[in-house]
Amino acid sequence: MADKNTKKKKKKSTVGMAASRMAVGGAMTEEQEEILTPVQMVYRSFLEDKVAMAGVFCFLFIFLCCVVLPFFLPIDMYYQDVTQANVAPGFGMLKVPGSLKNNAEQISLGSTFSVGIDAEGNVYEWGSFPNKKLKKLPADMGKLVQVSAGLDHVVALNEDGEVLTWGNDRMGLGSLPIELRMGERVKEVYAGYQISLALTEKGRLYNWGNSYLIDVRFPEGVQGNIEKFAANTDIVMVLTKDGRVEALSPKSTVYSAVPEEIQGRVVDLALSDESAAAVTDDGMVHIWGNNIKGTRAIPEEIQGRVTSVEGARFHFTALLDDGTVAAWGDDTFGQIRVPDVKEKISTISSGYYGNYAITESGKTYSWGLDGYLMGTDDFGRDVFRRLLKGGRMTMTVGAIAVIISTFIGVIIGGVSGYKGGKVDNLLMRLTEIVSSLPFLPFAIILSAIIGNNISETQRIIMIMVILGLLSWPGIARLVRGSVLAEREQEFVTAAKALGVKEAGIIFRHILPNVITVIIVNATLDFATCMLTESSLSFIGFGVTEPNATWGNMLNGARNATVIESYWWRWVYPAIVLAICTISINCIGDGLRDAVDPKSKER
Amino acid sequence: MRKGRYLLKRLIYIIFVFFIISILMFTIYKALPGDPVKMMMGDNVKPEVYQQQYDIIREQLGLDDPIPVQYIKWITNMLRGDFGYSTEYRRPVKDVIGVPMRNTVLLNLFSMIIVFAVAVPLGITTAVRKNSIFDKFIQVITIVGYSVPSFVIALLAIYLFAIRIPLFPISGVKTAGFEGTGMAAFLDSAKHMILPVLVMSVGGIGSITRYVRASMIDALRMDYIKTARSKGLREKVVIYVHAFRNALVPVVTVTTWWLIGLFGGSVVIESIFLWDGLGKMMITGLSQRDFAVVLAMQMFYVILSLVGNVLMDIAYTLVDPRVRLEN
Repeated sequence: MADKNTKKKKKKSTVGMAASRMAVGGAMTEEQEEILTPVQMVYRSFLEDKVAMAGVFCFLFIFLCCVVLPFFLPIDMYYQDVTQANVAPGFGMLKVPGSLKNNAEQISLGSTFSVGIDAEGNVYEWGSFPNKKLKKLPADMGKLVQVSAGLDHVVALNEDGEVLTWGNDRMGLGSLPIELRMGERVKEVYAGYQISLALTEKGRLYNWGNSYLIDVRFPEGVQGNIEKFAANTDIVMVLTKDGRVEALSPKSTVYSAVPEEIQGRVVDLALSDESAAAVTDDGMVHIWGNNIKGTRAIPEEIQGRVTSVEGARFHFTALLDDGTVAAWGDDTFGQIRVPDVKEKISTISSGYYGNYAITESGKTYSWGLDGYLMGTDDFGRDVFRRLLKGGRMTMTVGAIAVIISTFIGVIIGGVSGYKGGKVDNLLMRLTEIVSSLPFLPFAIILSAIIGNNISETQRIIMIMVILGLLSWPGIARLVRGSVLAEREQEFVTAAKALGVKEAGIIFRHILPNVITVIIVNATLDFATCMLTESSLSFIGFGVTEPNATWGNMLNGARNATVIESYWWRWVYPAIVLAICTISINCIGDGLRDAVDPKSKER
Repeated sequence: MRKGRYLLKRLIYIIFVFFIISILMFTIYKALPGDPVKMMMGDNVKPEVYQQQYDIIREQLGLDDPIPVQYIKWITNMLRGDFGYSTEYRRPVKDVIGVPMRNTVLLNLFSMIIVFAVAVPLGITTAVRKNSIFDKFIQVITIVGYSVPSFVIALLAIYLFAIRIPLFPISGVKTAGFEGTGMAAFLDSAKHMILPVLVMSVGGIGSITRYVRASMIDALRMDYIKTARSKGLREKVVIYVHAFRNALVPVVTVTTWWLIGLFGGSVVIESIFLWDGLGKMMITGLSQRDFAVVLAMQMFYVILSLVGNVLMDIAYTLVDPRVRLEN
């Protein structure tokens, strides 16, 4: 064994010398004392290649982002939210205007914008507006005492008890109920998802807007006896003057299962999209409904000290008797990470994915979703988070496809090059057949036929296998060529003479000498596989929704409206995909130059 | 004489490959989900005569024959140009395939012409002026050109030249409701063709330029170039006659691969620009489960790729008389 090792080493160093001789332009000089192995040679000249190194950095940066960042920025692939659809990139959704910052009376959070009023009753709007009409405030509103922001409209109440509304006016949102127009004094208003609600001083609740989404029916004895109300996208619930909670729905839902023991003692009520919360007179919070995204996980230490509770999409915030705030539920956008406030908080306001707190001196604090770095797509999904997940997917598919194709290619190329003769002929014919299959159309057909009735994970595996199975001929030819050149070398003869088995000769003696060729080609193939996967996903035959890849993220951008108005939906994935493939190609070129010093002269 | 024998051998071999692939495709065809008889009958058959009708059609389609017989019948039909019956268009595939095929060939032909018209001179110039700023600049441009996926370039092109500066129509083959003949019709379809052709050319220009450059540099380093120069030949003759001809050999290989890929890759471009070509037809066929059309498309791509291989062999013998054809 030792004998063989020294032989191998000797062999390598002669190759190294030859290679370095080539690199310095054929002239053997005196300072040629340090003898490098081929791998060291390749490594050194690769490090000197600036373009390739830039490629390495770019690719590593994107790769690390895609691998690491999803842990900090989680995303539920199945999650969709139409209220957040097509939000332009940028932050500042929770950035309270300067003149309101220390003087706030009340603030309300809409889907992607907020409305607030100061102590003088002036109204402010900020954030990203889903509807241009939101900026057209009605003239002569009087002094406002309460505002409420919904999906894309605002309802406000002035000191005369009059209701005003602006923003989206479709589905009857613009037309107030006759009773309110007749001058019934209102004490609380609410703007929700295509619905508006107003509670009068007489304890009567009125709703207007899209009546198909929420069917409001009053149980007997409730209308005229209402103290407070809460609403989400499914239901409106009320708190009556005698402390009972009632669901205003003809059907029985998870919300209507109010715990019997709290009835009559409730002082505050709030709804999230999955559950309902009620505060009883002893400061305890009771929650019923679905325990999705942790909306029912009340922190134990706040029990007994809660004065009021606010509900948003998937989290609750509670104001405690000492003026501090506690929150629980979904934390995707940091909604429950309450900032440290020195002063006592007097009001809290939660909605969608954000929260505001106003202290006793009128100072405002906010936490939660402040905006999207790269905007959202048409299903309200965060483009940046999907980009990271998609990158992971695209790279995984590319990498595994390359591993499969390299494995097949090396085995077929190795065997065929070493064996020669009939085996070679047969394998090369096979290679030729596979390489004359039209790649993209064939992959599309296979994907359409096999991918008919399988799960998403199986589909992803299928794409990897199809790409791997169709792209090995190139690498097989190269390996065969290199093996053909190597098998006539002395060390192979020596190994044969020593009685090493054929498989051993091919894979342990010849293969290490052609490994550089394999690595270079695997790198370039990786770029090709990523591109092919993206193309397949782009036309809908690769990885499909809800799983994200860079290709299928671009699939949604195939019409003129998206290309023009929602540029962030295609520009970001396109840029990342382009940078990624350019860097891999640069790396591959750099490697090729490093392996074959002759090509550097080009 | 030897060349002729070699080409004949290659031809026989390629026919053999064709049959292997056709068996593969026939297997796929057989593995397709759904009952072709039911598909052909549709839903408007009365229940009383259903079974009887079903048997008749089954008989007509020859589904009772053993599999090898079915294969032979199928391949004979395919070779005769009878590609079956399209359930989507309710006509024989042969009749619906003409226009899309013309469109696809036009699209690919034009981008091929553009790629060669740009890439070959560019490759030669950069090789001759190696390491100049112009060369470096083109190197950067070409690596971007062949790295960036065609659909990204397509989206960018649509954004720039159809939306921002509305020079060209976004999609389609001709203006809807356009009635015109001769020059007007030609101009209209040319206008629609410009964007897809440009987008398809970018990738090709990128890679072919790099290959031409690389093999030109190799050729220019050869001794016979020194000889040619020392003979006092004009530089143009040296470059275009002596060097370029020798640089062509590797370029031919790459070009053939690229050509085959071009037709395959036009599937994506056609689906973006709603170009009524074979690729779009194949995708619609797949989503409508119209497999007769899909298989005809597939056959077209296979034949194209095999013909490409034969052409490559012929091109080799033309550009380099030294190519030893026995190997």
